[in-house]
Amino acid sequence: MKVPRLCGTDTLVCAVALSLLLFALPVFAQTDPGLRGGTPSAGGPLSSVASDMPPTILSFFTDGQTRFVTTDSVAGTISGETGFGLGPRYNSRSCGRCHSQPAIGGTSPATNPEVADATADGATNTVPSFVVSNQAVKEARFVFFTDASGNPITTSPNGGVEDLYTIAGRSDAGSCTSSLISQPNFASAILHNNIIFRIPTPVFGAGLIENIDEMDLLTGGSNPYGISREFNRNGNDGTISRFGWKAQNKSLEIFAGEAYNVEMGVSNELFTQERPLPEEDRASGLPLQCRANGTPEDHTNFNKSAVATGSDTVQFAMFMRLLAPPAQVTGTGMALISVINGEAAFGDVGCTACHRTSMVTGAPASGGPRITASLENVTARLFSDLAIHHMGTGLADNIQQGNASGDQFRTAPLWGVGQRIWFLHDGRTNNLLSAIQSHSSTGSEANAVIANFNALSVSDKQDILNFLRSL
Amino acid sequence: MSLLLVLWMAVVTVVPKNVILVKGAIPGASDSTTPVPEKGTVSAGRYRNAYFGLSYPIPAGWKEQPAGPPPSDSGVYVLTQFAVSDGERIKAHVLITAEDLFFSAAGATGAKDVLASIRHDLPARYEFDHGPEEVTIAGRPFHRLAYIAPRTGLRWRIFSTDTRCHALTFTFTGVDTEALDAGERSLNAMSLASAAPACVNDYASNDNILEKTDPLLGTHRFNTIPVRVLIDANGRVKHIHLLSAFPEQSQAIIAALRNWRFKPYRVDGKAIPIETGIVFGMPRMVAKTTRAG
Repeated sequence: MKVPRLCGTDTLVCAVALSLLLFALPVFAQTDPGLRGGTPSAGGPLSSVASDMPPTILSFFTDGQTRFVTTDSVAGTISGETGFGLGPRYNSRSCGRCHSQPAIGGTSPATNPEVADATADGATNTVPSFVVSNQAVKEARFVFFTDASGNPITTSPNGGVEDLYTIAGRSDAGSCTSSLISQPNFASAILHNNIIFRIPTPVFGAGLIENIDEMDLLTGGSNPYGISREFNRNGNDGTISRFGWKAQNKSLEIFAGEAYNVEMGVSNELFTQERPLPEEDRASGLPLQCRANGTPEDHTNFNKSAVATGSDTVQFAMFMRLLAPPAQVTGTGMALISVINGEAAFGDVGCTACHRTSMVTGAPASGGPRITASLENVTARLFSDLAIHHMGTGLADNIQQGNASGDQFRTAPLWGVGQRIWFLHDGRTNNLLSAIQSHSSTGSEANAVIANFNALSVSDKQDILNFLRSL
Repeated sequence: MSLLLVLWMAVVTVVPKNVILVKGAIPGASDSTTPVPEKGTVSAGRYRNAYFGLSYPIPAGWKEQPAGPPPSDSGVYVLTQFAVSDGERIKAHVLITAEDLFFSAAGATGAKDVLASIRHDLPARYEFDHGPEEVTIAGRPFHRLAYIAPRTGLRWRIFSTDTRCHALTFTFTGVDTEALDAGERSLNAMSLASAAPACVNDYASNDNILEKTDPLLGTHRFNTIPVRVLIDANGRVKHIHLLSAFPEQSQAIIAALRNWRFKPYRVDGKAIPIETGIVFGMPRMVAKTTRAG
């Protein structure tokens, strides 16, 4: 059989013909390059902290990091679980179990630790259907209070966290048994579509976010996309709050204190009581037998010295405050060009109207840095305006926090997004393209920007995805 | 559908999906018949907005896009959006917005300012085609700003006009110049009311108020509540429109404002009805010079 030759003697003509053929092939759609591998580009201290400036600050960072990953038990007496005060209700047993991707201080890891938390140390909890080993860590909230049959009462917004587990059955639970305390009725909430989820927010660079002056948050903002800039505000002093999915927390210490109480059940100097579920609080409160410890369980350690004096809450906040922001990894050659193009295209379509590229942190006062030099007068490339925006019906969770309504969310900072596994407040997707498209729905401020994104060529969209995965 | 399922649905309440039930600060009004900017409609190939007296012909082949957010506390309305696509890629779209100049965050006093502000905040990588410059469209003055993002080929053609103390803005964006041309041509066939109540900035000052009861806002929410008020020729409040307020705030403000009396506003000695703006709650945000980002 005679085999046809692709090219004859005229190699130039052949090359042109082949290249034309190549370009005539269907253009493949843009795809999320996926989780960026390699060394975690976050998790270490700010540079001045690494240099231990001012002296001893590095020991505060290290101590905070250690406490962040320490597993709590009820009495702190279980081997390897020396933290004190777990429960009586909890979602997980340490900060670091959930804030661990790609490094301690990050977000949900690939394997959901809540599965193991259900039965740790003899606990007799049932793993809810939405807690799955290979999916994101989930925090659950019921949207509305319910009647005796479990029907949501839409005139009674709830919105509080429903802890997944109780300490009943644990070897250190004492007389707190499952006859006294039970898990929320998640099956009923799912049946009534009365439940929403949140995943952990990463806290890298959180000290820089904390140190951005309000004046800078209020600057600029004119755009042709119909996007406004509204802020959530602290109910006590009216200043802009900035942490959490809805920017509901004013400071890192509030953020830490609330999470310690709500996610792990540890009362502390900011949230001083053991926390019942919202509906339990309306009824009889937590059973006395399940309040194993005096409160606050976490407090200033007056009998210790130096770095050990601070409470866990204070040290969690200090660790988060001193964590360096994620570093961008751009690659070389074509990858670098794509990332550069992608950042420009990201701005062209209008993403930066909310995912504002950078802000400068507060300038040092006379007399030197207040905490450490790397927190002051530095450009934070966080890709967020820290404002709350309407995100429409597609992303609405119908939870009001402060002034943030059912569909308003803080612009999620995008630094570190290249090494995040799950996206959006509920971790519904691990695909960046899907996350981008989810920004458009009825009532969303991002509709015009997503229309611009959908006007781009495949290669421009790919550049944006590559850029985001470099962050 | 099985009988059991029907019975189950009759007794079980399910929170609807894709509905915003917890709305936070939303627009409100003292009556439901007086037109307000956010209540436009699409029918018979036109977008109509009774408040502005606007009738805009949707270009052939362009489709209505998901509705925008509620009005903001700085007076920005996303009125509607239309787009044309080739099935895979959007060729062009138009976003119709209005900025209430009584409450502008950028301190804009007119359509020209709105476009100047957009131009000011654009990064250097854009190339400017036009403006801001004055043009005439559908027989009325507009301001135009046109620019291109050279790398992606995205083009913006923005047209803004002053009406009822709002900057009414049509922002065409896309990569397909023919589609953009078609969109731009559609503007010539729109109609926009020329008669409207006079709008008077800051008329609700003590000099002009004869009777006043302050609303009792019981909760410290620290939100800005922009309110547009129609005052008749006798100085009585005829209509109250809250752009962004929590329901209990709306109730309190409407109840209080109904009792306000103003000096009649006079032009050449004749009392005429006017519109003015009042801010309750936290004073409105005032733009600062951009420092970074």
